[in-house]
Amino acid sequence: MSLLRVENVDKSYGDEEVLHDVSFEMDRQDVEVIVGPSGSGKSTMLRCVNRLTEIDDGAIYLDDEEIHSIDENDLRRRVGMVFQDFNLFAHRTARGNVTLGLTEVLGLSKEEAQAKADDYLGRVGLAEQADSYPAELSGGQKQRVGIARALAMDPELILFDEPTSALDPELIGEVLEVMRDLAEGGMTMLCVTHEMGFARSAASTLTFLDEGRIVERGPPEQLFDTPEHDRTRQFLGELTDLH
Amino acid sequence: MSETEVRGSTVGEIPGRKRLVVIGVGAVFWTWLLARWAYHNTLLDRLFTALGFPDLIRSELGYRQQESWIPAAPFEAVAEAILSAESAVGPLDFLIEWAAWPFELAAFATTTEPALASGAFITVYLTILSMLFGLVIAVPLSVARVYGGPVLSGISLVYTELIRGTPLLAQLFFLYFGLPLASFFNGFAFVGEGVVPRASILVAIIGFTINSSAYQSEYIRSALQSVDAGQLTAARSVGLSKLDGIRHVVLPQGLRFAIPGWTNEFVYLIKYSSLASFITVPELFRQARNIGSDTFAFTDIYVIAALFYLALVLTTALAMSKLESAVAIPGLGSSARRD
Amino acid sequence: MESVFLQAGDWAFIASNGSYLLVGTIVTVLLTVTSLGLGFLAGFPAGAIEVYGSGRLEDIVSTVGVVLRGTPIVVLIFLFHFGLPIPDLGDIQWLDIQLSTFVAATLALGLRSAAYQGQVFRGAIQSIDDGQMEAARSVGMTKLQAIRRVVFPQALRRSVPGFQNEFTIVLKDTSVAFAIGLAELLTRAENLYLQPGRGTAAMEVIITISAIYFVLTFTTNRSLDRLEDVYATPGGNE
Repeated sequence: MSLLRVENVDKSYGDEEVLHDVSFEMDRQDVEVIVGPSGSGKSTMLRCVNRLTEIDDGAIYLDDEEIHSIDENDLRRRVGMVFQDFNLFAHRTARGNVTLGLTEVLGLSKEEAQAKADDYLGRVGLAEQADSYPAELSGGQKQRVGIARALAMDPELILFDEPTSALDPELIGEVLEVMRDLAEGGMTMLCVTHEMGFARSAASTLTFLDEGRIVERGPPEQLFDTPEHDRTRQFLGELTDLH
Repeated sequence: MSETEVRGSTVGEIPGRKRLVVIGVGAVFWTWLLARWAYHNTLLDRLFTALGFPDLIRSELGYRQQESWIPAAPFEAVAEAILSAESAVGPLDFLIEWAAWPFELAAFATTTEPALASGAFITVYLTILSMLFGLVIAVPLSVARVYGGPVLSGISLVYTELIRGTPLLAQLFFLYFGLPLASFFNGFAFVGEGVVPRASILVAIIGFTINSSAYQSEYIRSALQSVDAGQLTAARSVGLSKLDGIRHVVLPQGLRFAIPGWTNEFVYLIKYSSLASFITVPELFRQARNIGSDTFAFTDIYVIAALFYLALVLTTALAMSKLESAVAIPGLGSSARRD
Repeated sequence: MESVFLQAGDWAFIASNGSYLLVGTIVTVLLTVTSLGLGFLAGFPAGAIEVYGSGRLEDIVSTVGVVLRGTPIVVLIFLFHFGLPIPDLGDIQWLDIQLSTFVAATLALGLRSAAYQGQVFRGAIQSIDDGQMEAARSVGMTKLQAIRRVVFPQALRRSVPGFQNEFTIVLKDTSVAFAIGLAELLTRAENLYLQPGRGTAAMEVIITISAIYFVLTFTTNRSLDRLEDVYATPGGNE
């Protein structure tokens, strides 16, 4: 039984068709990476999975339950998200960012929440920064807090929406390292990224999305080395050259 | 992206439909008001008399002798009609009374037409003159604050802080009761004759001008400070003196930023001109108070006064916002409400 | 109201009435506090409704707000004083005020302040990045939880400058309560120089109370500035 099943999803904004007949499946512990040009609908696809955006047509199943048959808050408890712009709660410390979901949604006591938050912050290498506010942290640190915040909810699946795109080059590495560790540890991850190195090494499946349609999907070696479509070769070739 | 300045505007965003209502009612309101003013205007009377139409404009009637243009009868009739149903509904009669009240109010309002219109005239020109004179003082004041040396800048600062830190009413009282300004003005024969307003109005103009100048200088100051410092440097490097640079390069750009502040100021002055009633100026609020004490219909007259002010304020704000969009530079910051 | 000169006798007169003016100051401060308090209690929900509400309720709140902000405070005070059937609640002897008058003034100043504070709060809420709400929802919080625990705390902090602004305005506008006979500072000033033979002291008295108002606004603004520094989120509001 697959963990995530996306079936024939359509999404339009007004006249503009952003996703067209998108379908794919993920099993537990899969690391699915989606790449594609800007505006290809990658982020929209991600946001449809946790219903931050609603699909127009088709269905999405989490653990065989269609996501509209589950309470949306419950869905989001089970599906974590890491944002391109971090979106850390500006008025709370790093620890506070992690504990908020634990106390409000999971109902943990303050002490339990703090202990768990400290644990997860430690895992992303930020034990010392637990009392710092987001404005005091570097971009890479902020994103790691974002990851800890999502992880602490014990999600079944984590969505990564271009997690390193807003970071200065020298800070990208620390975030990718955390993501690699997560992948190796068996976390089920659905990532949208431009980081080809990560895509090549960590992904179990690579999907190339262009203009709202899946052009090609398969193991990373296939898309990088022996792509079936010209468009794939063109896009990945360009990007690989840059990296 | 976040803003740290929060805009406090009276009108805010009026949704499309209500906007149309405001424009519609506003147009009728201003037509009526301007027509009344014109009808009783001394200057226009002389003009039309000279042109051969001596009876077109009747300026010799004081507002007490003037007649209402809108008849009370239709409103009274409707009110009567509604009230006649009163006995039929028994305990729910208060609902009937509520339904009749707007019409009774309208009937009453028609009797207040001349007095309120004449009061509104003073309110409007008091506001406009104070804005303009205040601006004339505010510009050098803000230039002194931003570009002056420690002495000039200090004087400007003290002036604005003192004026903004004390109540307007106290300032008016100071000028009218504290200083013998009114008797000073009354010493001049031409005061109160013809187009020259009476002494109390002159004192009010001075008071509002001083007050407004302090606030306007703050808006202009922050507007000037939003103009890139490089602009002045560039002007000087071309050979312009500092003063010319300010005049020809900084001010034209800076003043545009101050438009939102002016909108606030305009609305503020319209509302606070009501304070002039306490130094005997016969503006709109004073007229309302007089009618109140004459008729004892206090609630009614103050509701009418409120509606009158609302009409003035909303139409002004709407007009100013049209001006703002016509002239403003995209991406501009917001303004704080005057304090 | 005869002489323009600042007479020494006039200043002595003011000094001897120090406690009289002090009580006026207390009434002014009290009125400011109650009005601001009412303004906050009513303004905070009003702002939230204007952002998150819909339909009828939002319409009503919005319209009432426009009316309160577009009507002169004098007119509002008179409307509440004459129009509202406030029962005779007795007097506060040592302050020499009638409670019903004080209540009318508080309602007028307070509700008007609420209309403005609502705007401040609304603007503050709207200035908060959508991403904050999204992040809160993404961990499973309901919309209500997200608003309460993420949006409001930040919006409140951002409202402080606007609140500071409002304080100065209300403090100075308490002087308008003079018109309904509330014995606050300006009323008492007038009472002093209207005493027979004391007309010449008008200027000095008004200068004195203006100084009192100034000191009140100045010190409170500085204290609020200090308070803002103490409670600001380190690193500022992002």
